[in-house]
Amino acid sequence: MLRLPGFRVASPTTIAEAVAALAEPGARPIAGGTDLLPNLKHRLGAPTVLVQLSRLPLRDVEVRAGALCIGAGAVLADLAEHPLVRAHAPSLARAAGLVAGPTLRNLGTLGGNLHLDTRCRYVNQTPLWREALGGCLKSHGDRCHVVPGGQTCVAALSSDCAPALVALDATLTLHGPAGARTVALADYYCADGTAHTGRAAGELATEIRVPLAPGPRRETYVKWTVRKSIDFPLISIAMRFDLADDAVAAPIVAARVVVGALASTPKLVRKLDALRGQRLDDPATADAIAAQVGAQCKPLPNLPYDADYRRAVLPVHVRRGIAALVAAGENHG
Amino acid sequence: MTTPPDQGELTVRFLLNGEPVAVAVPPHWTLLEVLRYRLDLIGTKQGCDKGDCGACTVQLDGKAVPSCLVLGSAVDGRAVTTVEGLRGPTLHPLFDAFDHAVAAQCGFCTPGIVMAAEAYLRRLGRPVTRAEAAAALAGNLCRCTGYTKILDAVVAASERLHGAGGG
Amino acid sequence: MGDGGVIGRAHRKVDAVDRMRGVARYADDLKLPGMLHGRIKRSPHAHARIVSIDAAPALALPGVHAVITGADLPTPYGVIPWTPDENALAVTKVCHVGDGVAAVAAIDEDAAIAACDAIRVDYEVLRAIYDPVEALAATDVTINPYARAGNLSKHVDLAFGDVDAALAASPLVVAEEYFFEGSTHAAIEPHCALATVDGGGVLTVWSSTQVSHYLHRELAKVLGWPAHRIRVIQPPLGGAFGGKSEPFDLEFCAALLAIRTGRPVKFLYTREEVFLAHRGRHPMAMRYATGFDRDGHITAVDARTIIDGGAYSSFGLVTTYYSGQLLGAPYRLPAFRFDSTRAYTNKPACGPKRGHGSVQPRFALESQLDQAAVELGLDPIELRRRNFLGADTRTVNEFAIGSCGFLECLDRVEAASGWKARRPALPHGRGLGVAGSTYISGTNYCIYPTELPQAAVQITLDRSGRARVFTGANDIGQGSSTMVAVIAAEELGLDLADIRVIAADSDLCPVDLGAYSSRVTLMVGNACLAAARALRAKVVEVVAARWGIAPGQVSLVERQAIDQTDPARRVPLTEAFHWAEAKHGLLTAAGSYDTPRDRHGAYRGGTIGASPAYSFTAHVAEVEVDVATGEAQVIAVWAAHDCGKALSPRIVEGQIEGSVYMGLAEALMEAHTVDGAHGGVVAAPSLLDYRLPTALDTPAIHALIVEHPDAQGPYGAKEAGEGPLHPIIPAIAAAIYDAVGVRLRRTPFGPPQLLAALQARAAREAAGALAPHKGRALAEVR
Ligand SMILES: Cc1cc2nc3c(=O)[nH]c(=O)nc-3n(C[C@H](O)[C@H](O)[C@H](O)COP(=O)(O)OP(=O)(O)OC[C@H]3O[C@@H](n4cnc5c(N)ncnc54)[C@H](O)[C@@H]3O)c2cc1C
Ligand code: SF4
Ligand code: FES
Ligand code: FES
Repeated sequence: MLRLPGFRVASPTTIAEAVAALAEPGARPIAGGTDLLPNLKHRLGAPTVLVQLSRLPLRDVEVRAGALCIGAGAVLADLAEHPLVRAHAPSLARAAGLVAGPTLRNLGTLGGNLHLDTRCRYVNQTPLWREALGGCLKSHGDRCHVVPGGQTCVAALSSDCAPALVALDATLTLHGPAGARTVALADYYCADGTAHTGRAAGELATEIRVPLAPGPRRETYVKWTVRKSIDFPLISIAMRFDLADDAVAAPIVAARVVVGALASTPKLVRKLDALRGQRLDDPATADAIAAQVGAQCKPLPNLPYDADYRRAVLPVHVRRGIAALVAAGENHG
Repeated sequence: MTTPPDQGELTVRFLLNGEPVAVAVPPHWTLLEVLRYRLDLIGTKQGCDKGDCGACTVQLDGKAVPSCLVLGSAVDGRAVTTVEGLRGPTLHPLFDAFDHAVAAQCGFCTPGIVMAAEAYLRRLGRPVTRAEAAAALAGNLCRCTGYTKILDAVVAASERLHGAGGG
Repeated sequence: MGDGGVIGRAHRKVDAVDRMRGVARYADDLKLPGMLHGRIKRSPHAHARIVSIDAAPALALPGVHAVITGADLPTPYGVIPWTPDENALAVTKVCHVGDGVAAVAAIDEDAAIAACDAIRVDYEVLRAIYDPVEALAATDVTINPYARAGNLSKHVDLAFGDVDAALAASPLVVAEEYFFEGSTHAAIEPHCALATVDGGGVLTVWSSTQVSHYLHRELAKVLGWPAHRIRVIQPPLGGAFGGKSEPFDLEFCAALLAIRTGRPVKFLYTREEVFLAHRGRHPMAMRYATGFDRDGHITAVDARTIIDGGAYSSFGLVTTYYSGQLLGAPYRLPAFRFDSTRAYTNKPACGPKRGHGSVQPRFALESQLDQAAVELGLDPIELRRRNFLGADTRTVNEFAIGSCGFLECLDRVEAASGWKARRPALPHGRGLGVAGSTYISGTNYCIYPTELPQAAVQITLDRSGRARVFTGANDIGQGSSTMVAVIAAEELGLDLADIRVIAADSDLCPVDLGAYSSRVTLMVGNACLAAARALRAKVVEVVAARWGIAPGQVSLVERQAIDQTDPARRVPLTEAFHWAEAKHGLLTAAGSYDTPRDRHGAYRGGTIGASPAYSFTAHVAEVEVDVATGEAQVIAVWAAHDCGKALSPRIVEGQIEGSVYMGLAEALMEAHTVDGAHGGVVAAPSLLDYRLPTALDTPAIHALIVEHPDAQGPYGAKEAGEGPLHPIIPAIAAAIYDAVGVRLRRTPFGPPQLLAALQARAAREAAGALAPHKGRALAEVR
């Protein structure tokens, strides 16, 4: 078997207890465990103590103070079907429902998904494999095999929910030794595949807040993988369009497109201002967005699939995502 | 809250196939290891040990999950149902349907698939279509059957359990 | 047929309920008192000389009981006795990443892992070669330590008829290159072995093997332990597909460590180790030229193949022959030549995967036929009909063919798929493709020279009215235990529930050669039939004597013996068995089966690939191509298979469906490759990265059973386990061509490959070099 390394476990029932347990050097939170445990079985990390979050009261989903508030411990399968999530953040519901396979979604949590370690074909392997490779920046080595000569790890952000939530301007609340703080998710990720979140030592994410849409909106999440289940995203695009009124043909007020599965941060696509006033059902709109995505987003050979291919079809999937929104018409959410 | 420096084995109390149990579990053992190698519940199989295949699927509080990605200690206070939990004096309709359709070839994936299917059918409580069954079982790999007869069996069992046309 | 009325009915399997309920004990479900856990330390180098191994730090760890290295098991072995070229653990050098160098037995797996980590191995790294052509050319590097001819593993060059003249005279010659990527079995159960030695010095090995008998022989040879003091038991197996059809390091290591420690020792591969053990489909680079006359008749086939063998021979000698020898049917080839070369490379060894050796060349040949049909303006099914070889005939390479239902297979898939009406009407992006194939029902010659029978079955009737069937056959999920039970029930008039099958235990069962080359139904079935008929005769004779009628007037059916002349006169079989036992003593009979030895050519190699009977298959695949993303989605597959006689139709359907699934996966997404640019690692050594289709990725598969009974098979039965895999790959390629007008000649047909081909076609269309396919220019479709 792929045995886990030795560690202790703590099972706090309050956030304060959890923060205290996390203060120990080498402590790590574990929620569903569906990312952490495979990585530990591959000996990527050697925590002294795993702090189980499953007993914390972090599963609630509610609308509060103009935001959809989701506990970090909410389970993906529940989010995918939750009426509030479907009503207020349909692209998140969709993303959550596309993570991994059905049984993993019964374990995986939103907090864990947002903290999913970055992934790379050269590192998510057994110790023997990595030894044969000679290691890399993220694992006992001094080279990057994805960007030869590169000094920064570009392992891929592979969370399905992160791009969707960044596109929705979500914030994240963390509790730590210094108290609680709230950050914009867009500012939370950093360009270093070995440490890609802004989580400080001993911190624990507790809540994700999605501001309610100020007006009519269309949003979607597009994922492409080889198989229709289980696989991590190879193409990952979240799109949000705020509209002048509630018709898919209404003028666009604001657009936000976020692409995942590139390097270690979700990529916010820029230069979309010209879309203001354009209409989603105008093919030129989709073409313009696809062109910007194609120009700004370059999939890397970090994931176990042909990078050139991923580059080639990324714009296609952007157009398809928009076409699906248009086709759904007023029947969205 | 501090954790003791050497935890030894933890005593984990949970409902196993309907019966309360207390099991001593090393902190780094998975539920799969506890079931198979501590409790001799060998019906739960291991095919990848990291969430990729579904052979180890059990039900945790009634939901299908891969037991290779659950810590043994995490089931404290919860309900675990393994394929052994579906045994009884008569053949469970899912087993009967699988047997009738010859949906198990080597049978190694079958306990996991049956557990995933049982949770799904119980949640829906109505007959299901092949497409629905395929989506529900899309985390469970079978290398022998091409899924054809598995989906036949799940559809047939759903009709038997919840009445054809009844939903 | 017997009177039982059991044959051909839809049976439940004799062992399925226990398997699905978690009652059946697979290898890793076994646990013995005092059992230790083993682990193998593996090489991180693709090619290196072992300078030294220091096990002392491992032995010093708590809980570690023993460490062994290659020096402890120096005798080389190989499943093919002519090519013993591997060791249980590397002796002088490692030949691929993952080669075993040492093995430990420890109190638990954690201790075993720690021990492996503590063993220190000094290597002198050697140049590794990953390309077979480069390996064959290299003079400075010899990969396999026992190689006799550099990096040449096997070369076969056979010609039948004057191929050059026939090609020169052909109005159409289709000449193309094909590449078939490697793929692996990926049975869901990882390999596992448990060994123990009893006080009498009997070594018992439980292993997830599909060839107990060959394991038994090689254990005796490598361990130097007498065969009569070894017992090999195959517990229920969680899938194999050829991936468990030779001995592996873990079995030798478990056995030796059990001997050394005096305690039971278990080894269980990690999933990564399964990928490293491999023995999967060989990558083959194939250059084919096929000549046709104007009516589409094949005039000649010329095939040149380079086979990437990996570090060891495995079944490679046979693979090299099969790569040509199995092409002789179902089409008449007036002239045929093949030249196949297998090379050693620094990769996990390739071996037999379902459809061993012939899936790759079948892809090439069927693709040639499809291309010829287009060039000649013929319907591809019609072209195949025109080339039909026929039944009761010989192939160009002199194999005797018995029954042949290939034409009916074509008819069935043509009708079921709506080929005639739908194919011309399908829009751009949608297509139907067809392909055919043949496969063997076992081979006439055992892999080691012997005069002994290939299969034997023993049956005993007991006083409670049951039959116990003892067979060495390995049930790997394919249903062989049910198959023998069905035959015994049919002949003896019993219910399936009355048959107890005791299988694959070398202490209890007669020898069987194993579950490979699709031999079991025909060979073990025949042996079982012989035993059952002998017993039946004894019972019938006694009953007839009591009733004063002729034995021919007694039928055994539904647990009763019945007087056919007076059906009211009947006696329960239990009682009939008592009558017979009173007369004959214990009711037991043995049946043996040996193959005919006159059904092949007299030339060197002419026996390899010759079978008592051949199955035939035709598939039609329907594909939808997304021209913007290059995704080919298989919508449906119709698979008609001539298995001679379906003894148990649902099981046959299951074999067809599973074969289609497995072939479809290698056509579309699977690839077992080694990354030479990154240290020679297996690129996708997990079930995450090596993607097996899920239920959502699998199309509707319509299994159509065709029955052309063969005189050689039990009740006419032939194989069904491997043949139905072959046509799906070329059928999908043909359907893609039909859909969008591009020919894919390399597997897998993944989106990157298909998109590149579509772009190349679009460029040629734009340049005016190609007319739009189905009237739609690709630029417009995008
Ligand atoms: C076969 C397979 C396929 C998968 N496919 C996908 C996929 O398609 N898309 C995808 O997005 N993911 C995929 N995953 C990964 C994983 O299942 C999901 O990302 C899941 O949401 C992770 O959540 P978790 O609760 O299980 O995380 P855990 O494994 O418990 O934790 C993941 C990380 O987050 C940290 N963490 C967890 N909770 C918190 C918190 N509240 N605060 C701070 N840190 C925290 C942990 O310390 C750990 O580092 C796959 C996994 C497997 C095994
Ligand atoms: S991106 Fe480079 S450094 Fe990071 S994990 Fe991959 S190979 Fe290693
Ligand atoms: S063993 Fe748990 S998913 Fe494969
Ligand atoms: S029946 Fe063998 S893996 Fe499913």
